[in-house]
Amino acid sequence: MTYRNAPSVKKYHPSLQRNDPAGVASNSEWIRRGPGNWCSFRRLIRTNNDCEGWHRRFNCRAARENLPFYVLVELLEKEARLVNLGLQLVAEHSLTTTNKKSSKDRQETLTQLWTKYEEKNISTKDFFTASLDEKTMSLKPRHIDFDSTWSTLLETVRGVITYVYALCVAVDPLVDQLYQETKTFLEKYVQELHNKVIAAGEDHLLSSYHRYSEEYGKGAGYLNQLYRYLNTAFIKKKKHSEADINYGRFQLDSVDQMMEIGELALDIWKRLMVEPLQNVMLKLILRDIQSDREDMTVNQNVLHGVINSFVDVEQYRKKNQLLLYEEVFEIPFLRETGDYYRKEASQLKDECTCSEYMEKVIQKLDNENFRSRKFLHPSSYAKVTHECQQRMVADHLQFIHEFLKSDCKELMHTERRKDLGNMYTLLKPIQRGLGFLIQQVEDHIRQMGLEAVKNLKGENIPAQFVESMLNVHKRYTELIHIVFQGDQQFIGALDKACAVAINYRSTVKVPCKSPELLAKYCDNLLKKSSKGVAEAELDDMLSSCITVFKYLDDKDVYQRFYAKMLAKRLIYGQSASMDAEEAMINRLKQACGYEFTNKLHRMFTDVNISTDLSCKFSEFLKRDSINLGINFSIMVLQAGAWPIGQSNLPTFAIPQELERSVRMFELFYSQNFSGRKLTWMHTFCSAELKVNHLKRPYFVTMGTFHMTIILLFNSSDSHTFREILDHTQLPDSELSKQLQCLIDTKIIVTEGDVTESSTFRLNMEYTNKRTKFKITAAMAKETAQDIDQAHSAVDKDRKMYIEAAIVRTMKARKVLKHNLLIQEVISQARSRFTPSISMIKKCTEALIDKQYLERTPQTTDEYSYVA
Amino acid sequence: MADDMEVEAEREGCGYQKNDKMFTLKKWNLVAMWSWDVECDTCAICRVQVMDACLRCQAENKQDDCVVVWGECNHSFHNCCMTLWVKQNNRCPLCQQDWVVQRIGK
Repeated sequence: MTYRNAPSVKKYHPSLQRNDPAGVASNSEWIRRGPGNWCSFRRLIRTNNDCEGWHRRFNCRAARENLPFYVLVELLEKEARLVNLGLQLVAEHSLTTTNKKSSKDRQETLTQLWTKYEEKNISTKDFFTASLDEKTMSLKPRHIDFDSTWSTLLETVRGVITYVYALCVAVDPLVDQLYQETKTFLEKYVQELHNKVIAAGEDHLLSSYHRYSEEYGKGAGYLNQLYRYLNTAFIKKKKHSEADINYGRFQLDSVDQMMEIGELALDIWKRLMVEPLQNVMLKLILRDIQSDREDMTVNQNVLHGVINSFVDVEQYRKKNQLLLYEEVFEIPFLRETGDYYRKEASQLKDECTCSEYMEKVIQKLDNENFRSRKFLHPSSYAKVTHECQQRMVADHLQFIHEFLKSDCKELMHTERRKDLGNMYTLLKPIQRGLGFLIQQVEDHIRQMGLEAVKNLKGENIPAQFVESMLNVHKRYTELIHIVFQGDQQFIGALDKACAVAINYRSTVKVPCKSPELLAKYCDNLLKKSSKGVAEAELDDMLSSCITVFKYLDDKDVYQRFYAKMLAKRLIYGQSASMDAEEAMINRLKQACGYEFTNKLHRMFTDVNISTDLSCKFSEFLKRDSINLGINFSIMVLQAGAWPIGQSNLPTFAIPQELERSVRMFELFYSQNFSGRKLTWMHTFCSAELKVNHLKRPYFVTMGTFHMTIILLFNSSDSHTFREILDHTQLPDSELSKQLQCLIDTKIIVTEGDVTESSTFRLNMEYTNKRTKFKITAAMAKETAQDIDQAHSAVDKDRKMYIEAAIVRTMKARKVLKHNLLIQEVISQARSRFTPSISMIKKCTEALIDKQYLERTPQTTDEYSYVA
Repeated sequence: MADDMEVEAEREGCGYQKNDKMFTLKKWNLVAMWSWDVECDTCAICRVQVMDACLRCQAENKQDDCVVVWGECNHSFHNCCMTLWVKQNNRCPLCQQDWVVQRIGK
């Protein structure tokens, strides 16, 4: 029914259902869906064997059932890689479906029936019967006269089984005779074939050779099996064992050795067919390949068969199976290929620009690669590709380099990714081919980076610096990943270039500004600010800081600045988010190790401990029902962990009304801890005052010194310099600075400059737009000095570090040459800073003076450790 | 709680009366630095600053537990350094007096 056309089946559909009371056929799902879905009238495709075949192959590859997921993914991934090859093969018509002859015949009969039916030459009933017969016929066994067939078959079987055996076991000489006879027969046969091949003429020579060689090869295989008894019982014994051959005790001399019959047959083929024809065949093969290159059609099957027959002929050999193939075909073929592409290349070079040239060469390489897969033995693929690369790329390296040299800037600027990518693809396989390209890329990135660093101008330099560096880094990382396939050599070049740009300094004497800029950038991010940055975004920005940080040479300078700024943020409660602070410290730890962030961690924990401590203190006060009359919070920092010096603290007297609170805390602290002393860091303290005497109240935040001065005015509207000095106990210079600051804010006023004889009055007319504001301490303004101080502190730390490294090294080695010592110290310090050699020398001198080391007597450049 | 304290303070008059004073202190943030109350900054046994943990504790990441010990002679060392020292020799490494612990830092 499926062979009828759909409309006519539809007509019968209802009656079909009536006539099928059991409803077996008509109720089954596929019938009910209507004939449009299953009718195959005039359609050829009636099989899904192609899919099934793929499925079966795939199952075989999996080799087991119930695959774990990851194994399956890997398998699918491998399969996916083959898809493109498959597509190409199909497009080239080199992968086709095959039909069995029987099904082809059946299809033909059906087509004829269809035509007849459509022309109404046969009735529907006849059509059905005929097509049904046709469908089932092939499955029925034919009637065969058993007796006559069997007798023919028996003859052969008996002949083979009995006679070979009989001849072999009869008397010894018969084996030789059988062997000789077979040999003579084969020789004669091959000779005949040879003549036939020659007779076919040059045009058909290859195809007839191919046909005969296939037949002969198969025949030889069967013959070998028929003679198996002979092979195993007699010939193998006479042959040298594999071990003998491998150890080379015998010269391989096939002439006087008996060979297994299969080997013999192929040997005869080689001698009488291949060798006489090899020159003419080579010529023809090369001609055909040449025409394939020129896009003319050639018989791929024949060519592939002929070429591979050179390998198949040698299949019985134990060593050097490919020797014949190489000598007869591969070597001349490679030579010819080389010549061809040498010519092609020089022609192309004259005709096109370099970028066109590269594109064409890549295409040619691809084509030639594909051609190898079509015609050659797998052992040749790589050789052919190599030959082509040599002729088209390596020989013309100069050409590509010149192009690169003249156009590199433009290439990178406009990111002509295609050209760069082509260049990479071509140069990669060539030995040392990429060096020049890498160098150019590195130069370019460095130049871009340096330009960005030198052009920092105007406002917000830290952000400009970090963002432009990140831009450069991101842009070229992406370029390298896309164009150069993330090649490690290019990543290395990027790293080198970025390191140079980031550690740029205008002159040798000026310290590099980058660590400071980066630290400031981090500070700005982590500080509370008006523009609210989302948590996730902040996190990303801080992570990218680490990218820049990793390139810094002077990581210790960065640490110093970072610690200073972190201290300010923590003490003044300016951090936007404590989580972000902690995350950043952890990132630095990851990049640089525990020791590097040790102090930062301690600062961070001090703040948390202090919060606890404040709580405990207020509990303590409550328990003893003490009322201090002020609301205050206390931060107790661990000396040594914070970048705050304890020396040079100005003398200062706490106002009497506040002194009790401070004493109470000291009492509380000494009860909780023992052996500790507290030093009050008044320069870091701050106070919030409410101002009542003006038209409206103001809330002012200020430093402790300012607070003390201001509180004095509670008792009187004006004070002389001396009075204030007596009360506060501040040094003269410090006091004038603080007073000047207050006068600048106009809260208090005086006549003329601040001198020791000045008198200060409250400004009763004071107004301010804001009700809450802050008086910044004079301290915060001394930035330039701070920076110098930071650098000298870093230098001191470095000296310590280097001395420690020297002592460590010398203690382990006892005696060491000067140069080796310097190398060792540099490598130890690299993760934090790059020490200058003169500094190492100075430290060594200092250690000699301190008698940790001495110069080894009678040498000029060696030190030894003094225990 | 802080506000309560303030209100009380104003009522009791031990601080400042409302509107009486021109300036009232609302909040004071104090910063102090603590260090061991020692005569010499460096531990004579391990040559590391007493404010930093001794090398052994640094290596084992036990900085917080590394405290200072004072002898009757008023010399001070890292407690862990001294515990090892007295196993060899029960005298103060600096003054050779018999070692008697005066107090241990906390």
